[in-house]
Amino acid sequence: MSKKEQNAPQHIKRTTGDWIFDIAVIIFFCIFTFICIFPFYYLLINTISDNDLVTSGRVNFFPMLKNAEGNPIFGVQVNNYVALQNVQDLGSSVLVTVARTLLGTALMVITSAWAGYLVTKQKMWKRSFWYRFLVVTMYFNAGLVPWYMNMLMMGLTDNFLAYIIPGMVAPYNIILVKTYIESIPSSLEESAVIDGASTLKVWLKIILPLSVPILATIAIFGAVGNWNSFQDSLLLMNNRPDLYTLQHRLYIYLNSSSNLGAMMSQGGTISEQAAQSMLNQRVIQYTVSMVSIIPILLVYPFMQRFFVKGIMLGAVKG
Amino acid sequence: MVSAPQRALQGEDMPLSRRLPLWVFRIAALLAGIAMFFPPANPGRISEKINASASLFTNGVSYGTITNSMGRILRSQWIQDADITLLMIACVVVMLGVILCGVGGCMSLGNRKMRRRGFTFPLIGAPVMAAGLVLIRLSYNKMIAHGEEVDKLDKINMMIPSGFWVFCAFAGLLFLTALIAFLTTEKETDPAVKMEMDEKYRLFLMMLPVILLTLIFAYLPIWGWRFAFFDYTPGGSIGPDNYVGFKWFSFLFSDPATTKDLIRVLRNTLVMSGLGIATSWLPIAFAVLLAEVRSTKFQRFVQTFTTIPNFISWVLVYAIAICIFSTDGFINSFLTNVMHVSGANTNYLQVADHTWLKMLLWGTWKGVGWSAIVYIAGIAGIDQQLYEAAKVDGANRFRCIWHITIPGLTPTYMVMLLMSIAGILSNGMEQYLVFSNAMNKDVIEVLDLYVYNIGIGQNRISLSTVVGISKSLIGITLLFAANGISKTIRGESII
Repeated sequence: MSKKEQNAPQHIKRTTGDWIFDIAVIIFFCIFTFICIFPFYYLLINTISDNDLVTSGRVNFFPMLKNAEGNPIFGVQVNNYVALQNVQDLGSSVLVTVARTLLGTALMVITSAWAGYLVTKQKMWKRSFWYRFLVVTMYFNAGLVPWYMNMLMMGLTDNFLAYIIPGMVAPYNIILVKTYIESIPSSLEESAVIDGASTLKVWLKIILPLSVPILATIAIFGAVGNWNSFQDSLLLMNNRPDLYTLQHRLYIYLNSSSNLGAMMSQGGTISEQAAQSMLNQRVIQYTVSMVSIIPILLVYPFMQRFFVKGIMLGAVKG
Repeated sequence: MVSAPQRALQGEDMPLSRRLPLWVFRIAALLAGIAMFFPPANPGRISEKINASASLFTNGVSYGTITNSMGRILRSQWIQDADITLLMIACVVVMLGVILCGVGGCMSLGNRKMRRRGFTFPLIGAPVMAAGLVLIRLSYNKMIAHGEEVDKLDKINMMIPSGFWVFCAFAGLLFLTALIAFLTTEKETDPAVKMEMDEKYRLFLMMLPVILLTLIFAYLPIWGWRFAFFDYTPGGSIGPDNYVGFKWFSFLFSDPATTKDLIRVLRNTLVMSGLGIATSWLPIAFAVLLAEVRSTKFQRFVQTFTTIPNFISWVLVYAIAICIFSTDGFINSFLTNVMHVSGANTNYLQVADHTWLKMLLWGTWKGVGWSAIVYIAGIAGIDQQLYEAAKVDGANRFRCIWHITIPGLTPTYMVMLLMSIAGILSNGMEQYLVFSNAMNKDVIEVLDLYVYNIGIGQNRISLSTVVGISKSLIGITLLFAANGISKTIRGESII
């Protein structure tokens, strides 16, 4: 891109048509970008405005509170977020989701780093066969119900381990790591081997430090995947509502026809006013949605650095 | 790398008479390991009331799974909890024995010293297995005794499963072969020789845990395809008496209601995949137009914010859909309070019209910015000299786009296109599940969602397995076809 900019002065004089085209393109992208971010903004202002105003549809573009006379004025409040602690079952879902995101991602990254390193080893017995054995699973699966029956057979239904263990082997990530490790000069590894380092030691001391960028990439994508997980919770945790993930819990809230306010436990430490203000199903739905979006928005700046790298590496065939 | 004497040490030059017990032992240990996860070979299913889909492993670790169809039996204490606990302990002991044999199997890939040391593990492990089997038998006897005591023997259906004898055979075979191998492996007399293993086997053993995990979670589900050939009800068992052959396959075409459902679902699937494929050029257009913008800052700004929707789950997309399109969402409150339109209270999510188009738009909203990244990177990779040369020749920017940028992106696009054609039957279920409601369920149900609905929702395991098998087989055929096309056209495979 920068190259292009340097060349800009050499361009042939731009015609009126060029100008119109440029402006049209910019307007198009402005509109599209607006469509992409406005819903998030709208969701946010609905959670930090006065709940009565939200219900009556008075919050459109800016967060609003009521003044003394009851008229809408610009302002924010965070009572809804404070009151979330009283929403039943939400706490356990957040805990479960955080736990699976941390544990699941860590195990997946370690497994990918380990397997990705080993499959670069030409000396391994039947290496190419085992590599294909892993890669084929990206394109082929036995189907939802056989998979479910398999998990049932393994005793992984109604079991937290179901969130972590099956996700450990991620063939796509293994390919990414393998491709990356292959780009590391092999002389580094060879010199360590000559010095008598074992495979494990080479992996720990040389390969791991050098492949931090790719490991960070798969870690962040893996973490987002874990945070967003919904299907496994829906399928496997039928008898354990306390193990529902956050997305599953949100799905239930979004579909519940009863007033969620009624689901809130009585008492608690927050003021009665805040509790009152939570007696609004929509606002609970919005606030819980916001809570599950915020972590993604927080890691997003880090993720962005790895986008192109991750995607382009994936395009390189393993 | 490996010198001749070393190779001799590692046993590759051993005579057949010595190699045979070694290989029998390794294969037996491997099979015993697999059998641990194989429900029909479960030695612990000593009552017909124990879940038929529980393997030895499950039997050892999950009280809930093995007893889930025993409700009344447990409540009435026809089988005592203590006996079940004993059974579970017994299963764990058997597994421990199998694991010891497995360790021996792994070590048998080493040099002579390591092999000899390794064989001591199954020499302990096989008796441990036997002890576990004895414990299972003990638990069986205790349950029978208790059953007789309360006179409910006919209700608890005790039996010795075939898996019990299978594991007895494994224990015997493993012990025998390990003993032969141990005795025929001479003791290493040279104290300087250390336990060693050829690098290729060492690397393989390091890889083994990953291979086993893949085997269990990606390949073992194929074993679940057997449900397609039986009249299976959840919690029930499968055996010769409910074997129905290809009944469920023909049921797809012989049962009018199912056929109708299937046609409807296939239509939805193909239309939605087709719409996706028909609009798969959108990311290219996005990337090409974005590259035409001169300001790098603006480019980065657009890229940043149009990619965000890709990273939220479909449930959150649905939450956003609610906050924009529901009765009290943005559109309606905007119309009412800002435009002062009266009576604006349509719940757009409940309207079944144009469902396919709406799903396409949600998919585009979520994915287009993300899919464009590949093409944006592709454009950055095109040689700038091509553009300069074209300009010298008097090409305007549209000609540059048409003759340089687009051809430069075509190979990537072809790969993406072929992959999406190969995946035409798999559009995933999350999007359609969250957006489905009573109004639109006829037009939104795609194949994946249908499998979920009949399999998990209605418990018709056999039928949904049949649909799933067909889908998997068609999918893999399409993938190979797409790969073949790619090979002929581009001389490069895509998988």
